[in-house]
Amino acid sequence: MKLKKEFLVHDTGTETVLVPTAAAGFSGVVRGNRTFGAVLECLKNDVTQEEIAGALRARFDAPEGAIEADVERAVSELRGIGALDEQLV
Amino acid sequence: MDIYRIADLNILIRSLHGDVHSLCSDYRLADAAESCADIRVSVSQEDIDFERAASAREDEREGLPVRVFSDGYLETLAVYRAIAERLPFFDTVLFHGSCVAADGEGYLFAARSGVGKSTHARHWMEMLGGRAVMVNDDKPLIRVRGGRAYACGTPWDGKHRLSSRAVVPLRAICLLERAETNDIRRITPKEAYPALLQQVYRPAGEEAARRTLDLIDELSACVDLWKLRCTAGPAAAVIAYEAMKGDRK
Repeated sequence: MKLKKEFLVHDTGTETVLVPTAAAGFSGVVRGNRTFGAVLECLKNDVTQEEIAGALRARFDAPEGAIEADVERAVSELRGIGALDEQLV
Repeated sequence: MDIYRIADLNILIRSLHGDVHSLCSDYRLADAAESCADIRVSVSQEDIDFERAASAREDEREGLPVRVFSDGYLETLAVYRAIAERLPFFDTVLFHGSCVAADGEGYLFAARSGVGKSTHARHWMEMLGGRAVMVNDDKPLIRVRGGRAYACGTPWDGKHRLSSRAVVPLRAICLLERAETNDIRRITPKEAYPALLQQVYRPAGEEAARRTLDLIDELSACVDLWKLRCTAGPAAAVIAYEAMKGDRK
């Protein structure tokens, strides 16, 4: 899966946000924590959910299963707003 | 085909109907050569139909009866949209808000539809008299360059048709919320960010959209940002003006 090109990941200097262009069906803005920002970074490339979790485990210390749960939540949210292209993998 | 000087840009407009040329007549460059155009815009029937569908969706979203507009009017919207798609490449964005210049500096008021930004701007005009100019009551252009922001009048100026051809340094952006009492405070770029994103036209084109996001960051760093919780009365303008004209951040 990968972020659709109609959704832009933008670093404002204080946070990472996901912003749709006018071509997207969604008009809001998604703001998240550091983990969410890292998930967005991963999704700039075509990756699986397991690969995202692996990348985050290498970056963050967290209790067993916590990162997988965060990734699941982020992916579900992104899927819900139609931000993911899942035909790639 | 005619060329118009808007926000210090030469904009060539080819249209199917005459309405857009009437709308922009004060900005027309007489005898301008086609080669001097910075932005070239032409509109198709498909673009007009897109505006009709977008307008209907907006009416339905707000629970209003769907309004019927002429192709000529809808073409004026399509032309502005086409211009807005190109503006980020000229360090400029379209901002949905009402901008008043007071003593030569711009104050831009933004709010959700129906909160009363035009009413608030009108109170500023009445309070300041000859010291105030309405730059644009609906959709001014904001140019951000070299760490400074400028508000530019355009012909797309809302239902009351209030605007001037002014280009003024932009001093502040004020986000309005309706309240029972008047209260104003400074806010950070982070706090203002979601509202700024909603008020700025976000292009469909990926590169233009990226440039727009960079311009919003630059804009929020170089102007004062305020949140005004206010009533609809003129006292809100007094409180806002007294706070916003004070020391810069």
